[in-house]
Amino acid sequence: MRSPNVAGRTYSLMIWTPIRPGEQDALRAYLEGLGEGDSPLAKLPRTHMARWIVVPDMPVAPGTDLRDPLGSHFLLFTANLDGDVDSYLHELVVSIAEQAAAIWGRCVGCPQPAEGAALKAYLHRNQVDSGVAFAAYPQASVEQIKGALDKRARLVDFVVRAQEMAPGERRREFLEEFGGS
Amino acid sequence: MKLPAVSPDAPPRNVAGRSTSITLFTTQKWWGRFWMRFMFTATRAAPKTLEAMDGLSFISFASWSLIRELPYNGPPQTVRRLRHPHLFFEVSFNGSWAQYIDSSVRVLTTGMYTFWGSSRRFPGPLPAGPFQAFFKVHEVDCSHYYCAYPEATVTIVRSALRLEQRLDMFAHRAANLPEERFDAAWAAFLEDAQLLL
Repeated sequence: MRSPNVAGRTYSLMIWTPIRPGEQDALRAYLEGLGEGDSPLAKLPRTHMARWIVVPDMPVAPGTDLRDPLGSHFLLFTANLDGDVDSYLHELVVSIAEQAAAIWGRCVGCPQPAEGAALKAYLHRNQVDSGVAFAAYPQASVEQIKGALDKRARLVDFVVRAQEMAPGERRREFLEEFGGS
Repeated sequence: MKLPAVSPDAPPRNVAGRSTSITLFTTQKWWGRFWMRFMFTATRAAPKTLEAMDGLSFISFASWSLIRELPYNGPPQTVRRLRHPHLFFEVSFNGSWAQYIDSSVRVLTTGMYTFWGSSRRFPGPLPAGPFQAFFKVHEVDCSHYYCAYPEATVTIVRSALRLEQRLDMFAHRAANLPEERFDAAWAAFLEDAQLLL
């Protein structure tokens, strides 16, 4: 039976860390300031999708007695990534060291300074397993997907250009563009 | 129970290009902890149970977890064990929030009972309105959401991966084709691959 966190070659990571009292607003503002285009997660090339969420409490339907206080705000980080989680967390604490320190450094129990092997161990310790994970293209890595998308775009462009090419030229240009692919 | 009116769109921070995220927590009925564990085990043992979801072609990633206990890091953290088990669900998909709910409930009606039937206040998947309100009430918004290929839908990614295989095979063949036979082979390749472009 497959691991609860695995779908094909992808891994579903979930990390819960309690935010130090009083730090939740500053942390939320920092995370919201990470623009989509400048996302530090782009420096982790094995990341398909990821999210940071500040969870104040478990949401419940209004007018019910189901309230379940968390005691403090929690930071939830989830990611769909290629390969194993151990090497991914290593890459995370190295490649986005500044942002990781600014984010998890505001959490209870995080080593100070929030960096390196100590931060990686902290993140490992706060991982929660998935029950089941789904991926639409479970055998494809981020690198393969980006490569395939790039090739598709180049082919679409070539199809248009090829209409104006002379026979002979078309073959030469095609092999120049895609022959080494 | 009166639930609030639902906005059809996701907040901007739940969106990256054409990818939208939903993150949900629902409180479980007393038997939910047993049922969901059984469901998780059964689904992992027979992944074909997720085939209907695969067929929707707009969901890129999803996961479910049962949350009862949170990792404990010492004071000032006060809570480790929650009063109730909660079902955590996250999904990344293409399209609007309302389209996702609407399409899911119509195609995955049985699956909706399977995965949400143990959640308190679950109104049933149809009609879609109360189910949308159920989702909205239990949703938490992202502070930051990232997608590595934000302009590509699931269909585009799958097409690109299939197209790449065919293109590589054709390129390999084309290198050995005499010049006068290339145009016919090129036309045949385009006809074969046109739905993937």
